[in-house]
Amino acid sequence: MDAGWWAARRRGFVIRTALLIGCVAIFILPLIWTALASFGVVPDETASPPAWTFPPTTANYAEIGIAEPTFAQELLTSTGLSIVVTLLTITVGFLAAYSLARSGFRRKRLVAQSFLLLASMPVMAYVIPLNDTVRFLRLHDTFVGVALAQTAVYAPLATFILYGYLSPLSLEWEEAARLDGARPLQVLAHVVLPLVASGVAAVAVIVFVLNWNLFLLPLVIQTSHIKTITVAMSDFFTFERELEWPTAAAALIVSLAPLAVLVAVAHRVLEGFRLGAVE
Amino acid sequence: MLTRQQRLLLLAPLALVLVPFLIWPALFGFLASFTNYAPAQAHLQLVGLANYKTVIGDQQFRAAFRNILVFGVVAISAELAIGFGIAYLLREPFRGRELLRVVILLPWLVSPLASGVMWHFLFSSSTGMHNFLFASLRLPTLPSPLGTSGLALPATIATDVWRKSPLVSFLLLPGLLALPPELWEQATLEGASLVSRIRHIALPGLTPLILTVALLLVGDTLGLFDSIVIMTGGGPGSETITPALYSYQQAFQINNWPVGATSAWFIVAAVLLVGLCYLSLARQEAS
Repeated sequence: MDAGWWAARRRGFVIRTALLIGCVAIFILPLIWTALASFGVVPDETASPPAWTFPPTTANYAEIGIAEPTFAQELLTSTGLSIVVTLLTITVGFLAAYSLARSGFRRKRLVAQSFLLLASMPVMAYVIPLNDTVRFLRLHDTFVGVALAQTAVYAPLATFILYGYLSPLSLEWEEAARLDGARPLQVLAHVVLPLVASGVAAVAVIVFVLNWNLFLLPLVIQTSHIKTITVAMSDFFTFERELEWPTAAAALIVSLAPLAVLVAVAHRVLEGFRLGAVE
Repeated sequence: MLTRQQRLLLLAPLALVLVPFLIWPALFGFLASFTNYAPAQAHLQLVGLANYKTVIGDQQFRAAFRNILVFGVVAISAELAIGFGIAYLLREPFRGRELLRVVILLPWLVSPLASGVMWHFLFSSSTGMHNFLFASLRLPTLPSPLGTSGLALPATIATDVWRKSPLVSFLLLPGLLALPPELWEQATLEGASLVSRIRHIALPGLTPLILTVALLLVGDTLGLFDSIVIMTGGGPGSETITPALYSYQQAFQINNWPVGATSAWFIVAAVLLVGLCYLSLARQEAS
């Protein structure tokens, strides 16, 4: 290794660091701008050259409760709904993916890819008739109705991803457990699940985020009782009085914070996230 | 191996959710598109292709598909390119990489709807970012691009790229890290350039994953609704109307259920078409 090689390596390092800092700045700046606005630090139009209004205040967070008195309730609804739907999605997806991974079916890769196709079907493609179906089942504007309809949205994606974790697993352990007389569900819970637990947790985090952020589906399946935070935000943005930017920014930060915390806590687990089978 | 019965039992819960809440509504929408069915319709009758004629004859609908084609081609290529670029920069370990991986994912955590609200204000003339910059440079301030003819579509594309490129980098990075280290060592020994590393090592190894991500992005784009409805509502004129917005307005605002359901079927058809291309590409890739 000569000096030239080291110089090139050093130069590469500097360029990479600079590019990364640039990227982070571009992607994060809008969020910093929003966070500042939520604390009342906004550009002062009257000043020239432009300046910021000071001092920061938390009044805008209190203002959310005035603009949308049921905001706390909606936060709870979103939290409960996202947790239930995530558990349901992972359960049905895991069972189906295991079934597929352990079938002798020759074209099972194709079946797994068809789940990906279902996963890429946008909600708008079927939400108009779905509204009818849910009313017919008398589940409109109920927790169960919204939860089941949301589960259907990301269950195909979860199945596809979990299939990617399950299909490369060696059969050894399962066979050994079965020879010891374990029943299939016991094998699943005590042998298979521990082997892929961190992957399943990563998928659960992603599914939680996706559900928390769903808008069109809860908008159509509810009228007033099961109002999620996204529906609430669209309400007070579009229908009610002209919304002030600092209040909107505060609501935005509140709706983002749980996800940011979740992802920060789960970052080690998320490093194991794999989309699709590793061949 | 499981018995056939056990396998079916394990698939049953998924089927119980998907059949009533996804597959049946989609099929029902298709069947209904040949009738005058609507929730309050008393006299059900077959209307043949009349709904399809109405939809295809509608200027707005054609504009929606034209917009989404432009939107999709530009936004998805940009998201894949930028996402790949960031993933490539994060490939080699360094101090703080774990933190950076999480921080850079933040834009994707903002819901499409909240991102719409946010950019509405960030683009606006009094609270916006670009006008703060312009004013600092003593340049004249501009009205929001979201309301400006010719700029609205590019502006909405930019917000989509902002929100989804981080996700693409998050999805591609594990694929890059899973490539055999010998390949990179070999390239270093041969003194391969950056371009050749990307072309001969990274891209071939990542192709199946990139195809998967691309399919998900296409599906997501074809359903583009939440952010657009907040930022532009389809305007100015019909410059940013999308197929999803069109269907929603027809079904739930104008109460023209048949036209809404029929136009939504074009979204299904488009996803199926792209999906079939994906299946055949993925098969070629595997063999």
